[in-house]
Amino acid sequence: MIPREFDYEAPTSLQETLQLIASGERKLLAGGMSLIPMMKLRLATPDSLVDLGRVPGLNHIVESSGTLQIGATATHHDIETFPLIRGRCPLLAEAASHIGDVQVRNRGTIGGSIAHADPAADYPAALLALEAQIRLVSASSDRIVPAVEFFLDAFTTALEPGEIVVEVLVPAEPGAEGYSYEKAPHPASGFAIVGVAARIQRSGGKISLARIGVTGLGARAFRAMEAERLLESGSSLDQAVATVGEGEDANSDLYASAEYRKHLARVRAKRALEVALRRAS
Amino acid sequence: MKISGEYLLPVSRDDAYTILQDPAMLARAIPGCETLEKIADNEYHMKMKMVLASMSGLFDGKVRIADPNPVSQFRLIVDGAGKIGFMKGDGLLTLTPADGGTNVHYDGSVEVGGTIAGVGQRLLDTTAKMLIKRFFTKLNTEVAGSAASSGKG
Amino acid sequence: MATTTVKPETLVGKKVRRREDPRLITGTATYLDDIKLPGMYHACVVRSPYGAARIKSVNIKPALELPGVAAIFTGDDVKDLPSVPCVAQLPGLRMPHHHMLAQDRVYFVGHPIAVVVARDRYLAADAADAVEVEYEELPAVADPEKALAPGSPAVHPQWPDNTAFTFHQEGGHIEEAFREADVIVKQRITSQRLIPMAMETRGVVADWHAAEKSLTLYSSSQAPHLLRSLLAGIFGIPENRLRVVAPEVGGGFGSKIDIYAEDMLMTFVTQRLNKPVKWVESRRENFLGTIHGRGHVDYYELAAKRDGTMLGLKLKIIQDLGAYLQLLTPAIPTLSVLMMPGLYKFKHISADVIGAFTNCFPTDAYRGAGRPEATHGIERMVDILAAELKMDPAELRLKNFPAPEEFPFPTATGLAYDSGNYALPLKTALAEVEYDKLREEQKQGRQTGKLLGIGMSAYGEICAFGPSPATPTGGWESATVKIEPSGKVTILTGASPHGQGEETTFAQIAADELGVNIDDIVVYHGDTQLVQYGIGTFGSRGTAIGGAALYYALQELKEKIKKFGATLLEANQVSLSGGACIDEKSGKSVSFAEIAAAAYRALKLPPNTQPGLVATHFWEPPNFTFPFGAHVVITEVDRETGEIAIRRYVAVDDCGKIINPLLVAGQVHGGVAQGLGQALWEQAVYDDNGQLLTGELTDYAVPRAHMMPWIEASHTVTPSPVNPLGVKGVGEAGTIGCSPAVVNSVVDALSHLGVRHLDMPLTPEKIWRIVQAGGQA
Ligand SMILES: Cc1cc2nc3c(=O)[nH]c(=O)nc-3n(C[C@H](O)[C@H](O)[C@H](O)COP(=O)(O)OP(=O)(O)OC[C@H]3O[C@@H](n4cnc5c(N)ncnc54)[C@H](O)[C@@H]3O)c2cc1C
Repeated sequence: MIPREFDYEAPTSLQETLQLIASGERKLLAGGMSLIPMMKLRLATPDSLVDLGRVPGLNHIVESSGTLQIGATATHHDIETFPLIRGRCPLLAEAASHIGDVQVRNRGTIGGSIAHADPAADYPAALLALEAQIRLVSASSDRIVPAVEFFLDAFTTALEPGEIVVEVLVPAEPGAEGYSYEKAPHPASGFAIVGVAARIQRSGGKISLARIGVTGLGARAFRAMEAERLLESGSSLDQAVATVGEGEDANSDLYASAEYRKHLARVRAKRALEVALRRAS
Repeated sequence: MKISGEYLLPVSRDDAYTILQDPAMLARAIPGCETLEKIADNEYHMKMKMVLASMSGLFDGKVRIADPNPVSQFRLIVDGAGKIGFMKGDGLLTLTPADGGTNVHYDGSVEVGGTIAGVGQRLLDTTAKMLIKRFFTKLNTEVAGSAASSGKG
Repeated sequence: MATTTVKPETLVGKKVRRREDPRLITGTATYLDDIKLPGMYHACVVRSPYGAARIKSVNIKPALELPGVAAIFTGDDVKDLPSVPCVAQLPGLRMPHHHMLAQDRVYFVGHPIAVVVARDRYLAADAADAVEVEYEELPAVADPEKALAPGSPAVHPQWPDNTAFTFHQEGGHIEEAFREADVIVKQRITSQRLIPMAMETRGVVADWHAAEKSLTLYSSSQAPHLLRSLLAGIFGIPENRLRVVAPEVGGGFGSKIDIYAEDMLMTFVTQRLNKPVKWVESRRENFLGTIHGRGHVDYYELAAKRDGTMLGLKLKIIQDLGAYLQLLTPAIPTLSVLMMPGLYKFKHISADVIGAFTNCFPTDAYRGAGRPEATHGIERMVDILAAELKMDPAELRLKNFPAPEEFPFPTATGLAYDSGNYALPLKTALAEVEYDKLREEQKQGRQTGKLLGIGMSAYGEICAFGPSPATPTGGWESATVKIEPSGKVTILTGASPHGQGEETTFAQIAADELGVNIDDIVVYHGDTQLVQYGIGTFGSRGTAIGGAALYYALQELKEKIKKFGATLLEANQVSLSGGACIDEKSGKSVSFAEIAAAAYRALKLPPNTQPGLVATHFWEPPNFTFPFGAHVVITEVDRETGEIAIRRYVAVDDCGKIINPLLVAGQVHGGVAQGLGQALWEQAVYDDNGQLLTGELTDYAVPRAHMMPWIEASHTVTPSPVNPLGVKGVGEAGTIGCSPAVVNSVVDALSHLGVRHLDMPLTPEKIWRIVQAGGQA
């Protein structure tokens, strides 16, 4: 449980950070809640770490013209508790509240979590349901990628070498929107066996918008688009959730088989939608 | 751990059978493969650098082709050991002609040991599947590439 | 002379706050890893990644060349040293030589191969990584039933049947019971392998003083004197030159009674290098190289009359021993046999134990040690019988308890249960949950598909290990009480508390007996140079035996105090009360401090009395104690997901007299947490190659605070006649009572579907599948 020797640098500007990582040799360190355990087990043996902790202007949470801008180093605890997020994007706050334990939430960051792209992480489900966007910056580029295009596979994202997540952009809640995050945690790790984030908007007694993000079930989080479509076209909840995870090559481990996970995803999706529907009215 | 699945290679069964046993092709397609040297008929020494998220590890091992039954079936046996543990994969590959190419069905088992086995339960299945997917995806691009360069595509 | 005496408040029975806590809460306690000696080296152990393999070569050269590396030792260096000790004895027991470093083969994942010693722990870890070991993997077997099957790989090549021992015990006439029976119920019941997971991992600092040929060894141990005796024997160091210190110990749960390879290795290394050396176990090593618990596959048969009278019980235990025998490994399942009748009046029993070697780390005593397995088994069997007879499980239990006047109650396994009123806690717990109302609710709920479970266990346990003939380590305990010349009181106990809080309870006992302020008393333990020989803390023995030894030492000392008091008061008859001796005739008194001063100044000695106020007492208990109780658990099962919610957890425990209710509550809560862990979440899973798949806290599910239900704990009090304090022991009760109550509750919730039994842990998927299949397993 002792890491291999490594160099440590703590730049104090984004510019400096981007230059340091441009070569692709150095590894970023944010909250360390995913990286450090791997290093202690010597499963990760980076030669050099670049700590984002002292880079100013990376942990902002602000609203500008209907969009919440959340800096990459905002912690899970910030996101869980910040009034702006609780008020304007309660789904994200709710998802954050389910991450790990207090210590993990105090240190872990949203940028680190999405860059790491654990197939059972909580944020991806919420960010997909929110149709969030992710801003990626390198020494030579600055681009915005929609969440659906960001999460590619287990531990694999659209991040290019030398690029860093600088902020996450989520639409501020328009008003009477319903939402819910339903999670079945693994009793040891706390990670999601499955987690389902749901958003519902209603108009005239009908569902005008349904968004469902699912994590834990497959290699990466995904949107249950068929279920969304069915709900928006007036199908019943049961019909809609029966399509969640269809065709997905579900994960399995000692605790939950692929078959059970798929079933659980549907049950949890239904429960999330029920709560979201209630909250939407 | 049992694993199985199938992939479509956009080539004829004869070509698929050859490609899947071609050391140069394997070297390019096996995720992380750094060197692949022949040590005997159908047996190769392999050095691999596995990189997955923040994890990485060097493995030293062997790739072996066994029980060949041209052009429909053979076993691919891969094993490697490194500081972070060891792994062994033994898969039976069955090739059947299909629309648009050859269907490669694999059915086998993966065994891991050491640190990776003891601390990565939650992710083993997902990771194994992902590595296999990477293998076939790479193979597909290689096949497409060589088809293009030889003017057949 | 002062003449006022105040009747002091008695402390025994009061919620006195733990005196240990300030140093723990403020982070100033000294745990093993806090010990730093000048010039100290650090060790790191190279371990096998294979469950079974031949070692083809070990190349230490690249590691030796690294900066700061002092030495590396391998199997060859220690090949002539004795085995890691097992003190349990059974007829015909096969005892493999457990070298502290592997010789030509490894037998489990984590098997130590080499020890690297370096200037600091970081260099040691790097160098350990640089040791090159070549293996040839061999077939392994990790499941005890598979190990016993013909043709299985042999863990030890010399014993192809993988059988370490077989053990048989009988009482009464079992075949007769089965002939007379109206009903016989049978069930295979498992108690899965668990990992004790003390918050503080193990660690050792060994410090050899070459000039004095003496050794000081610090170890995170539950039994320092035992460690001293065994190490002395192994290394030929005279015991009076070997000091073992157990510093602050952060939990043990049985896992720190053992003498481990690393205790021996560090002793070896410090002698070879003439430098102090430290090894601290990582959490990962704790998973792989500290004893596990349970690991039972049990086959039960219970014979009964149609009216519910239980007649006979047959049990076959297959014990997963692991690859080696640690300190008490083979003895643990024999404790299950002793307690197999539970609280019921079986006249006839028959038990067979088969100890199976597997390519896993050894099992040994983990909280409850053999009794949770036995209790889980019998309490499940009683429910299965109740279902078979269509009888209420509470009624069936009440029918088969011995009555309070039948104590001491002789069991068919040869024990004499000391005292008990077994119906009382069960009735109390059932009343507490309003049992009849709940049954009604359950019936109603089933109409709408609601799955409500009402489960109970009436557990008994054997504690206060124990009379010496029954305890391989010796079963007595010792205490010394010294009254210093200033009147302050020092207690030295041979028990070795590591979280239980005897620094508080023992001080309460002494404060009451001597009538002094508790702040004038200090309790020391865990240092063999300071404390007279003792046995240690395990098997819920600390207070029931150590406390009793203290009580007797106090009585001896009180006699001497009174003699000095009488001399000072020039009285014939004095009594001791409120921290003073009082002349009953004149009412004059002399204070404790005055007596102490006089006893050491020695100007005027009582007849036939020497100076000083010190008493040491070694106490051999005449019997075990037998705590008991009832746990009732109300669960709700989510039909769609299989998830289990605990609605109420009611525990009514009887641990005899209670010295400190706060500490008893702490023990019950912690015990229940570990019982729930077994019932619902924890399991050590090895694959067929002996890989421990649940080898870190990301996969091995130890219960955490937010997973715990509210525990409604209360007590009945049936004093034990075995010791003068009337205490029985409570360290393991929570664990023992818990798992059967939880499983019985969940089985009860599903019983109308035809579910009769479920093996632990009750994972949601397991439950979901059963519900899906309409109750068919
Ligand atoms: C006990 C425990 C329980 C947990 N439970 C959960 C859970 O229930 N749900 C859940 O979702 N997560 C869980 N986690 C993971 C946790 O949320 C981590 O905080 C998160 O995955 C990583 O964030 P971090 O800031 O700690 O990143 P780090 O560990 O510092 O970094 C992770 C990776 O991301 C890279 N990185 C970091 N920041 C950036 C950036 N801005 N741009 C590009 N790359 C970057 C790093 O180089 C590294 O590769 C748990 C972790 C622990 C230890």
